[in-house]
Amino acid sequence: MSNGGGESGEKECEQSTKGRFGSGEEFGRAIAKIAVAQICEGAGFQSFQSSALETLADITIRYIRNLGQNANSYANLAGRAESNVVDVFQGLEDLGMTQGFIGLSDVNRCPIGSGLVREISQYVSLEEEVLFPFNVPRFPVVKERKAGPSFLQVGESSPEDHVPDWLPKFPDHLLYVSSPVWNPRPLDVPVDKTDLTKEQKKVERPLMNLQHQFTCNGSAPPVFADPGDAATTKGAGQGNPFLSAPLWFGEKEVTPLVYPAKLESHPQNHVLEERVAPVIDKVKSSLDSEDSRNKIILNSRPSVQFKLGTSKKLLTSAMGLSPQRKTIEKTACCFESDDEKDEKKRGKERIVKGPMDKTQELDHL
Amino acid sequence: MNQHQQVNEGSGGRQDDDAVLSEFLASLMDYTPTIPDELVEHYIAKSGFQCPDVRLIRLVAVATQKFISEVASDALQHCKARQSAVIKDKRDKQQKDKRLVLTMEDLSKALREYGVNIKHQDYFADSPTTGMDPATRDE
Repeated sequence: MSNGGGESGEKECEQSTKGRFGSGEEFGRAIAKIAVAQICEGAGFQSFQSSALETLADITIRYIRNLGQNANSYANLAGRAESNVVDVFQGLEDLGMTQGFIGLSDVNRCPIGSGLVREISQYVSLEEEVLFPFNVPRFPVVKERKAGPSFLQVGESSPEDHVPDWLPKFPDHLLYVSSPVWNPRPLDVPVDKTDLTKEQKKVERPLMNLQHQFTCNGSAPPVFADPGDAATTKGAGQGNPFLSAPLWFGEKEVTPLVYPAKLESHPQNHVLEERVAPVIDKVKSSLDSEDSRNKIILNSRPSVQFKLGTSKKLLTSAMGLSPQRKTIEKTACCFESDDEKDEKKRGKERIVKGPMDKTQELDHL
Repeated sequence: MNQHQQVNEGSGGRQDDDAVLSEFLASLMDYTPTIPDELVEHYIAKSGFQCPDVRLIRLVAVATQKFISEVASDALQHCKARQSAVIKDKRDKQQKDKRLVLTMEDLSKALREYGVNIKHQDYFADSPTTGMDPATRDE
């Protein structure tokens, strides 16, 4: 008999993948599909539509369940918990009502004496035996749950009177006792605005310094250099690297604010100066300044090429989970729209804009 | 009620029935149904059927197999009828004498007689206006 080899192979794959999921539901359906396919093959079909096969498998399962339910209810009706063969035949009769069988019309019949038995025995004798190809294990497999040791087993006595000793032991109290939460770092940046301004003012000076550095082309050290201030900012920014004083050019290679050497010597620096001055001097709403800045940007398009990705990281990483970065997050949120516009136009000026934005914002405040 | 009448009516009839039954159950143990026992056991256990006797499980399996084979043979008849209806001449017959495929159409026709009504979607559309004439579609 042609097994429809490809089909059973496919079923095998389905069976193995479906067996992994959930309860025995998927597994049962897969098995039913195989069995039904074999029956239909015996009937004469050579191939199946998958939806038709699934439907028929579903009907098979429903039939089995219906038969079981009917037999069970007949047994219960007779006052028994366990079904016997008569119950099964009665259940079969119910299911076979639509088709009918010999002897159904007889009101006083015994279910066993009806034509149903004869039909089934005929089927058994005539039908060729088609064996299911696989060994089906008992399913669903119930995992044995091992209970914890009881009080008696451990040798303890239960702490409460109402809890008998043969019950499982209570879990160790350390597991459920609440311990004090680890203190957050004192450098946690507070969210309210007054503190925000303080933080920003702390950042202001080094940022001004940085801006000044651009204007001077990094030739001379900035005038506002305040060692005390730098120290405090450094101290305050101990935990938060973004609040610490920015590094001068060349001090550290890996800092995102460090620009490559060619920027200093680049002739386009004067363009930045143009943009910086009006921005710093204005005391307006951010929108206006943004417009003007944009106009300035449109007028002058320096072709400065930076190694990039850092400013965005600065801003986006500031969105991260650390509470320290909330200031940066706040400032970044304000300037996010600006940055997006810039990114669309050039995408490279954000690092330069960053400190300038901050200074502008600080002025506004 | 039914059972009372059966008990009262005739012990002779019952003996015959018993003989038939025991014979049948014996023959049942020789025949291994295609539907595996474990599957049947799982699903009838879900419906509350309790029985330690394996013969009853086999009985349920055989009954189900009989039902499915009847449905399949009906569907096969529908399929063959459709194939023969299309045959015009020899050439067509050879063309149409392809594999017999169990389709949803044949299955739904066959199951209708058993009281199972299945309607199968031919295709699925994204929206109600899919495939409609663009002029008639509401923009």
